[in-house]
Amino acid sequence: MNIHEYQAKHILREYGIPCQDFRVVSRATDIEEAIDSLGVTEAVIKVQIHAGGRGKAGGVKIAKTREAIIQKANELLGMKIVTKQTGPDGVICHQVMISELADIAKEYYVGLLVDRAHAKPLLMVSPEGGTEIEEVAEKTPHKILKVHFGIDGSIDEEALNKVCRFMDWTEKTGEAGKIFIKNLCKAFVENDGEMLEINPLIEDKEGVLWALDAKFSVDDNALFRRAEIKEMYDPSQSNAQEVIAHEMDLAYIALDGNIGCMVNGAGLAMATMDLIKYHGGAPANFLDVGGGANKEKVAKSFGIILSDANVKAILVNIFGGIMRCDVIAEGIIDAAKELQIKVPLIVRLEGTNVEKGKELLKKSQLSIIAADDLTDAAKKVVAHANSSK
Amino acid sequence: MPILVNKNTKLICQGITGSAGSFHTEQCYEYGTKVVGGVTPGKGGRETELGIPIFNNVKECVDAVKPDATMIFVPPKFAKDAIIEAEEAGIPLIICITEGIPIFDMLKVKQIMNKSASRLIGPNCPGIITPGQCKIGIMPGYIHKPGKIGIVSRSGTLTYEAVWQTSKIGLGQTTCVGIGGDPTNGTNFIDVLKEFEKDPETEGILLIGEIGGTAEEEAAEWIKSHCKKPVAAFIAGQTAPSGKRMGHAGAIISGGKGGAKDKIDALQKAGVNVALSPADMGKIMQEALK
Repeated sequence: MNIHEYQAKHILREYGIPCQDFRVVSRATDIEEAIDSLGVTEAVIKVQIHAGGRGKAGGVKIAKTREAIIQKANELLGMKIVTKQTGPDGVICHQVMISELADIAKEYYVGLLVDRAHAKPLLMVSPEGGTEIEEVAEKTPHKILKVHFGIDGSIDEEALNKVCRFMDWTEKTGEAGKIFIKNLCKAFVENDGEMLEINPLIEDKEGVLWALDAKFSVDDNALFRRAEIKEMYDPSQSNAQEVIAHEMDLAYIALDGNIGCMVNGAGLAMATMDLIKYHGGAPANFLDVGGGANKEKVAKSFGIILSDANVKAILVNIFGGIMRCDVIAEGIIDAAKELQIKVPLIVRLEGTNVEKGKELLKKSQLSIIAADDLTDAAKKVVAHANSSK
Repeated sequence: MPILVNKNTKLICQGITGSAGSFHTEQCYEYGTKVVGGVTPGKGGRETELGIPIFNNVKECVDAVKPDATMIFVPPKFAKDAIIEAEEAGIPLIICITEGIPIFDMLKVKQIMNKSASRLIGPNCPGIITPGQCKIGIMPGYIHKPGKIGIVSRSGTLTYEAVWQTSKIGLGQTTCVGIGGDPTNGTNFIDVLKEFEKDPETEGILLIGEIGGTAEEEAAEWIKSHCKKPVAAFIAGQTAPSGKRMGHAGAIISGGKGGAKDKIDALQKAGVNVALSPADMGKIMQEALK
């Protein structure tokens, strides 16, 4: 789960990591009060959205007078931001951060993530801060240093010394840098981080280090023990269907095709998308109803699929293991009755209790198109989706 | 001779009284697996409806019934401790079905397993089955047929699909291993490929991968230089968008890495027959055997 920059900075501050003072505003009427309490006449105003690339998209402004701060903050509030990471629809900025201006002398990059292959957390640093790290990795990979640290959040002196030399820090900056990195590693592990980026980490004209930006995503599976972070969930940052699916614990990803898919299991769901494409169609979504889905979940899944106006036909592909085919069939029947599904519905069932499931569908007298196997299902759904254009 | 589990494998279940644990223990038992015990803290001393003895902890269970394998169904927040408890009790094969274990919990587990004589399969996997002999996990038993193909997969239901196809065309399976959809797992493709390569009954290997990580590329490297048996493969997620996690924790293309195309290319270069449609997994395996 991603959290906003201001939320990440609140966490970093608890770990003694220096961040410029800031206020967060969600209503235009609160802007002046925020400026007063911050006590500034010049500031940087930044949209609070979950995607990177805000600066390039016009979501970061510098203002040198009080009037300019008010004007820029007003402009950014409610603005639609489109970046490489948001997709063409963009996201709406509901909150802006008004922050003290920093006196930047040098910009660095620091990123923390989990190196799954080595089963250790990994620290990545670069003296090339402020730009996209992917770009640095591609063009000048020798300017990135990677060092592992402990799963308890500890980092040894040797690794810290390596970082100091790599960043070319003076002895004084290096002492502060070591504390900064140590605290960052601790903050990452103690909050079940998945990825934490400080880009840029800056050195000001006095040689003091600051986290100028912070991008933090936390392991969804660990939210049960991070109640305060769980609270930070912001549904305004995702696609509407994805939000509903998230609330119902379904894995759903919106895509741009016209064939709605309901599948059990992530691998089979991906394979079903591939299959549709292979036969000349385009999937409208990825939806994994999961292993333990019940009738209600199946019915709700249909609701989500149908709320996408692009859907011209639906393919249900279930291989019953934990999930029995008769249960799926009941869910399909309930949903078809309740939601009055008007688009062609192609169903392919296989696995546990498949005969019972097929029998139920047949008895229901609903206009469900049964498919014999995967290829048959794909051909049928693609034909129906294409003919309804 | 299948790999890892056979008709003599004695199994226990951790979390045997939970709804999934009790249901699937019964299913495994009915399939013919030797289920000799179960663990649920606080319920020791009782028996399940099938007469399987329940113990309060793994140590007591191991002392009493000496299992070869354990199947873990405990909720995600307790899974780390359950795996470690099984390892400490010295159970040689630990199969963790549980999905949704926190990353840092798995890092801890992985560090312990790296130094252990026990093997962990999973988490977030369907389990392992040697058709006609031993079923450990949540797969529907009846789709499997004893035969000559070894199947290894990161997926659950997609594995059933592959099993179904190989059963229908008469190839059957020696053993099917689900290594799980998490990026940090106990057993990887190469571990299983090595076992299949050694197993005289396995004539061909079907590998089912998906987007995310580099496990398939590493498997391809290994196959190129070590594997003499024919290998077929399917990679799920050829049409998956970049930057989105496709259900499984490990299934994400990030920073231009982990896409299906690179994996397919690597496998093809290693001489593996790759199916482009998931409907052709059985067919392509058959072709690879020729």
